[in-house]
Amino acid sequence: MIRTLAAASLRRHPARTILAILGVAVAGALLLDMVMLGTGMRESFRRFLLVQGFQLRIAPKGTLPMDTEATINGASALLRTLRTNPDIIAITPVLGAQIHVLQGTRAITSFAVGIDESTEADYQLEAGTNVAAPDHIVGNAAFLTAMHVHRGDTVDVVTGFDPQLRTYVGRRRLVVVGRGRFFYTSAEQPVAAVPLATMQAMGGPERADRVSLVLARVRDSANADSAAAWVDRTIPRVSTISTDAAMRQVDERMGYFRQLAVILAAVSLIVGFLLVTTLVTVSVNERLGEIAVMRAIGVRRVHIVQQIVLEGVTLSLVGAVAGLGLGLVTAHFLNAILSDFPGLPATFHFFLFQPSAAARSLGLLVIAGILAGVYPAWRAASLPIAGTLRREAIA
Amino acid sequence: MVSHRVALIAATCTLLATAAVIASAQTTSRVPAAVAARSIAIDERFAEDEHLKVGDRVVISGDPGAAATGSGDTAVIAAITKQGTDPSEIARDEYRVRLHLTDLQRLTGAADRVDRFAIRTAGGAAADSVRASINAAAFGFHAYRSIDVAVGTSRTFQVVSRFHHAIALITIVASGIFLLCILLLRVEERRRDIAALRLIGISRRSVVWSVVLEAALISVVGSALGTGIGWLGSLLINWHYRGVYRTPLAFALVTPNIVVAAVVLAIGLGVGAGFVAAMRLVRTPPLTLFGR
Repeated sequence: MIRTLAAASLRRHPARTILAILGVAVAGALLLDMVMLGTGMRESFRRFLLVQGFQLRIAPKGTLPMDTEATINGASALLRTLRTNPDIIAITPVLGAQIHVLQGTRAITSFAVGIDESTEADYQLEAGTNVAAPDHIVGNAAFLTAMHVHRGDTVDVVTGFDPQLRTYVGRRRLVVVGRGRFFYTSAEQPVAAVPLATMQAMGGPERADRVSLVLARVRDSANADSAAAWVDRTIPRVSTISTDAAMRQVDERMGYFRQLAVILAAVSLIVGFLLVTTLVTVSVNERLGEIAVMRAIGVRRVHIVQQIVLEGVTLSLVGAVAGLGLGLVTAHFLNAILSDFPGLPATFHFFLFQPSAAARSLGLLVIAGILAGVYPAWRAASLPIAGTLRREAIA
Repeated sequence: MVSHRVALIAATCTLLATAAVIASAQTTSRVPAAVAARSIAIDERFAEDEHLKVGDRVVISGDPGAAATGSGDTAVIAAITKQGTDPSEIARDEYRVRLHLTDLQRLTGAADRVDRFAIRTAGGAAADSVRASINAAAFGFHAYRSIDVAVGTSRTFQVVSRFHHAIALITIVASGIFLLCILLLRVEERRRDIAALRLIGISRRSVVWSVVLEAALISVVGSALGTGIGWLGSLLINWHYRGVYRTPLAFALVTPNIVVAAVVLAIGLGVGAGFVAAMRLVRTPPLTLFGR
């Protein structure tokens, strides 16, 4: 009976009910988007850092990984030292540099990484084969497009290029053997991978034993922060950052988006709550006589409360479910806007759908719906029966 | 000895070069005596964090490992600079140190090299012709207008601005529905009053006008309150984010244009919602409104 009465009450004013559901749906969509933004951005960054399972990033002292052109000298000794730590189970060195591909009188610029072929962690192969020989090169789609080359083509690559004098430090003819999706660079930035030894040799004697970054994987049972502290202590010329430390830095620097998400989520929740409260309150005010009659014929107070709360919950639940669908659409739209950030890696997303985020949004809206029904329900249940009936009869 | 990642900038009127890394020490005892002291300028955040002041000596180096080995060049802090209001630097938690160009060239081993030249021309029209002539004659480098460089470096903020506009659109839709719902309820609450007005001969037009006027008044009062809350909010936002990012940048601005746009939008939504609600009621026969 309670469900029937609640449904009848909502059907009595269809325009009003539809508007309330629409309002809750938009508020719910914004709430879901903000929950996705608040939690998804962090999760996306964590996945981005752990894409190949390396928890430590070792960069030149005082720098962030690949943030400057600084390099670490004595790379061989560094790698030997790292291998002495039993907690470190895999190491992959990377040397980043700008390369130029010579095409007639033109020189097209690209970023390139020298990688250890056996442990590389910078890209995922999409087509062809990995770099396996000193004259191999793998590029991303933007690289292949910019250079007008295909797999199997040979490119004339130089490093340390001086465009005015057209001099260079190193030059190699490399064969394009594959196309890869690079994790840490934006999709539109041309980037290529060559064997580390080739990149070091092309950099001349100065770069012979240098790397820009070393990624290290720590065994699951070990603490990555402790391993990072050990590296910093043992090798003073480097700075080591663990995934957790990087996450803390991101939390600090990207706090703007998280705070915006919290504020807007709170606002949307309040708007949804106010909307349902107002609607249910007005609806109760309109049928005070009806409620008094129900009480007079023996309907228990608790049933009146249940019916009114059910109305609020129904509005919130239907609006929230519609809002989840709407929220996914708007999240896609908002993510597309933020994906235009210059240099943002293709694998990074601001809005990440997680079932837990959807469940949290739905739960919050349902709780708001229950709370929204509590005040009008309490008011209706505490009506003096005789007085209300008399007032309604006179009216 | 404390080591910091900083951007080193050659401070001359036309040339800039960047490197990264400095090792600093506040004590002169660690400074190699044989090295002649150079003068540098550091930004106020660096000075504040490391308790540095004008006249202090520090060790600077282009090599990130210099702090560990104790090598590097001595420099005297000659000035402390205010942080610029460049939005592109906001996400980079980086100190700025300015050096004489030749000092930076020597420090980074980039003798007779610069990253870029800045050229002042006689007016905007001259800028285009100078740029064209440089690009026609230059080999190995390219001239850009300052405005194009500024547009390129402010892309991040264009994205943030588009994101804010999208969020504002969603908020407007939500508030429009909320307003329509509230006004519908307010008008429907008075269905008996309106029925009585119609029965004593008040025209539909007058009833609609009275409802619309009421909606407009509510919107005006609401938007005035909203403007006040928005202004206070902008003060709070600027205070908070200036502290977080340690920058003099303004993060939220309440400009006359924004106020006008918000008020017009609020009144438009309010009047529209009031009109829809009023029309719904006046189309219903008065006796039906009375429940007969």
